[in-house]
Amino acid sequence: MSQSVRTATWPAAASAGGARPSGFGDPLFGLLVRLCGLLVLLLIGGIMLVMAFGGREAFSTFGLGFLWSPAWNPVTNRFGALAPVYGTIVTAVIGLLIAVPFAFGVAFCLTEMAPRWLAGPLGTAVELLAAVPSIIFGMWGFFVIVPAMARHVQPLLRHSLGQLPLLHTLFSGPPFGTGLLTAGLILAVMITPFVAAVMRDVFNSMPAVLKESAYGLGSTRWEVMRLVVLPWSRQAVIGGIMLGLGRALGETMAVTFVIGNTNRISASLFSPGNTIASLIALEFPESAAGSLKLSSLLALGLILMLISFVTLFCSRLLLRRGA
Amino acid sequence: MSGAMAPAGGVERDQGRNRGRDRGLDRRRRLRDGLATLLCGLATVLVLLALFSILATLVWNGIGGLSVATLTRVTAPGGENGGLLNPIVGSVIQVALATLLGAPIGIAAGIFLAEYGAGSPFATAVRFISDMLLSAPSILVGLFVYLLLVAPVRHFSGYAGIVALAILVIPIVVRTTEDMLRLVPLSMREAAAALGAPRWKVVLLVCVRAAAGGMATGVLLAVARIAGETAPLLFTSLGNLNWSTRLGAPMASLPVTIYQYAGSAFDDWVQLAWTAALLITAGVLLLNMGARFALRRRGER
Amino acid sequence: MEPDANHRSRAMPDSAIPAADGALSAAARAMISIRGLDFHYGDHHALRGISLDFPARQVTGMIGPSGCGKSTLLRILNRMYDLYPGQRATGEVLLDGENIIAPGTDVNRLRSRVGMVFQKPTPFPMSIRDNIAFGIKLHERISRSEMDGRIEDALRRVALWTEVKDRLRAGAGALSGGQQQRLCIARTIATRPEVILLDEPTSALDPISTARIEELLDELKQDFTIAIVTHNLQQAARCADQVAFFFMGELVEVDRADRMFTTPRLKRTQDYITGRFG
Repeated sequence: MSQSVRTATWPAAASAGGARPSGFGDPLFGLLVRLCGLLVLLLIGGIMLVMAFGGREAFSTFGLGFLWSPAWNPVTNRFGALAPVYGTIVTAVIGLLIAVPFAFGVAFCLTEMAPRWLAGPLGTAVELLAAVPSIIFGMWGFFVIVPAMARHVQPLLRHSLGQLPLLHTLFSGPPFGTGLLTAGLILAVMITPFVAAVMRDVFNSMPAVLKESAYGLGSTRWEVMRLVVLPWSRQAVIGGIMLGLGRALGETMAVTFVIGNTNRISASLFSPGNTIASLIALEFPESAAGSLKLSSLLALGLILMLISFVTLFCSRLLLRRGA
Repeated sequence: MSGAMAPAGGVERDQGRNRGRDRGLDRRRRLRDGLATLLCGLATVLVLLALFSILATLVWNGIGGLSVATLTRVTAPGGENGGLLNPIVGSVIQVALATLLGAPIGIAAGIFLAEYGAGSPFATAVRFISDMLLSAPSILVGLFVYLLLVAPVRHFSGYAGIVALAILVIPIVVRTTEDMLRLVPLSMREAAAALGAPRWKVVLLVCVRAAAGGMATGVLLAVARIAGETAPLLFTSLGNLNWSTRLGAPMASLPVTIYQYAGSAFDDWVQLAWTAALLITAGVLLLNMGARFALRRRGER
Repeated sequence: MEPDANHRSRAMPDSAIPAADGALSAAARAMISIRGLDFHYGDHHALRGISLDFPARQVTGMIGPSGCGKSTLLRILNRMYDLYPGQRATGEVLLDGENIIAPGTDVNRLRSRVGMVFQKPTPFPMSIRDNIAFGIKLHERISRSEMDGRIEDALRRVALWTEVKDRLRAGAGALSGGQQQRLCIARTIATRPEVILLDEPTSALDPISTARIEELLDELKQDFTIAIVTHNLQQAARCADQVAFFFMGELVEVDRADRMFTTPRLKRTQDYITGRFG
C-alpha cells in the first residue's frame, strides 16, 4: 500500500504545508488543552515550591543540621528530621521486603499457574485489595493486626529470631503490638497488590513465543519464570518494586494508626516511631499557624516530596510506557 | 547449575531415546518447580486471606451500626446517639465537586497528550509528571492546598478539600483519557478531517465521542480513589461535627470522621467509625468493580 | 447560501487544460489538473513529476503495485497529507484553476469540495442520521426539515434509504460492512462535493457489496468527478473511464480504460495488467 508513515495518533505539528487556519476554533482549543497539560506540569513544581516556602523558617533556623538532627521537642522548639526520616525508610523497607516475595508469588500465580477461569476472579480480588482506602488498612491494622502482633507475633519473634546474636536488638523490647514492624507489615499488605499488578502486566506483556520456546525445550513453569521471564522483564519488575516503595514512603493513614507516634530512633523494630507522613498527620493539628513547628513539618513535607520524587522518577524511568 | 546441564555420563539406565537422561536431575527439577508453585500459591492465598480478613472485619463490626437512624442523624457528642448524615453528605458534595473540577482538566490534558502531543518533549514531560502524580503522597497535596487556600484566609473550608481532591483526580483521568483516545483508530480521524472538519471538531465530536465510555470509566475510578482519601482532607476541609453544607466552612467527610472516631473512647463513636468504614469501602469497591467490569467488556469487543 | 450552485457556476468558465498526452476525449473538461507534481515524505521522494487530468464527471482509476504512489496522489488531492509533518508537495494541483497545494488554501473548505472514502468503512460512533448530518453541519446552517431532506436524499443515492429509514437514530456501528461503506459514501456526497476520492473502497468488502458499490459509482459519476485507487484491475476495467498506471512514484501511462486494458502502449503497463509483476 502506498500510504504515509503513520504514528499511533496525530503528530504534534500538523499543516506543515502552511494551510490557512479556518476560524479561531483550532488555535483556541489547542491552547486550552496545552494549558491543562501545563497545569499538570506546574502542579509538581508548585507543590515543591510551596513546601519549600513554608519550610523556609525551619531551614533558616536549623540550617542543614535539620536533616540529621534527631531532636523533636516542641517545648524547647528544637526540631530535626532524622527520626521521622528513619521511621519512613525503615517502615517502607520492611514493607517492601515482605511485599515483594508475596507480590511475585501472586503475579506468578496469575500469569503462569492459575487456569483462565480462576485468573480472572483472582486478578479482580487483587485489584480490589489495591482499591481499599488506606484508612481502612489503618483501622484494620489497629483493631486486628496490632492485638495479633502483641499477643502472638512479637513474643514469637522475640523468642526465636530475637535469640540470635545479630538480630537480638531488632527483635527486642516490650511487645506493644504497635511500632515500626507493624507499620511495615500493614504497608506490605497495602503495596503488595500494586506491585503484583505491575508484575502481572509485565509478565503478560512478554511475547508468548519466548515462553513457548522455553516450554518447548521441556522447561518447568518455574524454570521458564526464573530463566526466561524474569531476566527478560527485570527492568520493569524493578520499576514496579520502586513504585511500591514510592507508595509506602508517602502512605499516611495506614501507618498513623499503628506507628505509635514517638519521635525517637530505636534499633528495635518493636519500638514505636513515626514516619514523615504520620508525624505531619498527627502533629499538624497541634501546630499554631506561623510557628516554627509548623514550618518544620512543612520542611519535612518537602523532604518527603523529594524522597518520593526520586523514587517515583526512577520507577517511571524503568516502567516507561513502551520501553 | 552448569554441572546439571552436562550429559550425565555413565547413568545409561534406559535404552532408546531416554538414554543419557538423568532421572535424578528430572526429579530435582520437578521438586523445585513444585516447591515454587506451592510457595507462590501460598502467597496468593495469604494475600486473599488479608482481603477477606479486611472485608470480614468491616462487615462484622460495621453492619450492626447500619440503620436508618445512623444514615439520617447528624453526628453528636459521644454517647448521644449521633449518626453519619453530615459526613455522608459532606463526602458526596466534596467528591462530586472535586470530580467536576478535576475531570475536565484531566480530560483536556489527556486530549493534549493523545491528539496534540505525539513526539513533543513538552508532552513527554507532562505524561511523565502526571504518572508520577498518580503515586505522589496524598498528604502532601493536602499540605499544598493548606498553604495555598487555607493559611491565607486562616480557616479551613470545603473549597480547599475540593481542590485537594481534584488534584488527585487529574492524573487518573489524564491517564485513562489518553489510553482510551489512543484506541480510536486513525482512520476515524482521517475520515472526519476528510469531510472538512477542523481538528478541534474532529477531536471533540468524533474521537472523544468514540472514547467516551472508557473515559467515563476513568472518571469513575478517580471517584473511587478520592472517596476514600483521608490525608488530603485533614488540613483542608478538616471535618465538621455540626451540620453544614457551606463550602466556605469546614466540612465533614466519611474518611475524616473514621479517623476522628476510630481511636475514641466512646463506644458509639467507634461503632460509627466501623459503620462509616463499611459504607465507604463498599462504595469504593463497588464503583471500582463496576468501572473495571465496564472497561474489560469494552476491551473484549 | 447554496454552495453547490456556487461551485458549479464558478466552474463554468472553461478552464480546461488539454490532457497531458492527448489521449482523452477532447470533450471532457478537466476538473483537476496536476502539473509537475513532486511529493516527499521526509527524505523519501514518493512521487516524481506527475502530470495528470481528471476529466469532469468521469471515473479515473488509479492502478499500480503496492507502494507505487497512487494512494499518496489521492491523498494530495484533498491535502490529507497536511495531517502529518515532514510531508511536502511541490508543483501544481489545479482545481478550477486554483492551485490547492499552494500555502493559504483553506483546507477545510477544500475538503468540502473534494470528499474522500476510505479503504475500511469509517462510521462515526453516532447514529446513522448524525453520521450524515455531521458533514453537512460543518459547512452549512440549514433548517431541520431541510436537513432531513438532505439526509434522505444522500441515503437514497447510495441505495441505503429503504434499509435504514426506520432506524436512522440507531448507531451506525450495527450496520454490515457493505452498508457502512455506503453510509460513508452517503456522508461524503451529502456535503455536495465536486470530486469524490475513493481509496480502495471495496477491498474490505464481500463480492456482493463490492458489486453494489461499483454500480453506485456509475450513477454517481453523473454528478461527481471520481478518482478511485484500486488493486483490482477488473474493478478498474469495469468502473473507470480513464485509467492511470503508476509505478515507483511515476505515472507510467494514462489512457481510456478500454484502450488501456486491450492495447497498452508500454511494455511495463502490459506486464502489470497481464499479471507478470505487482
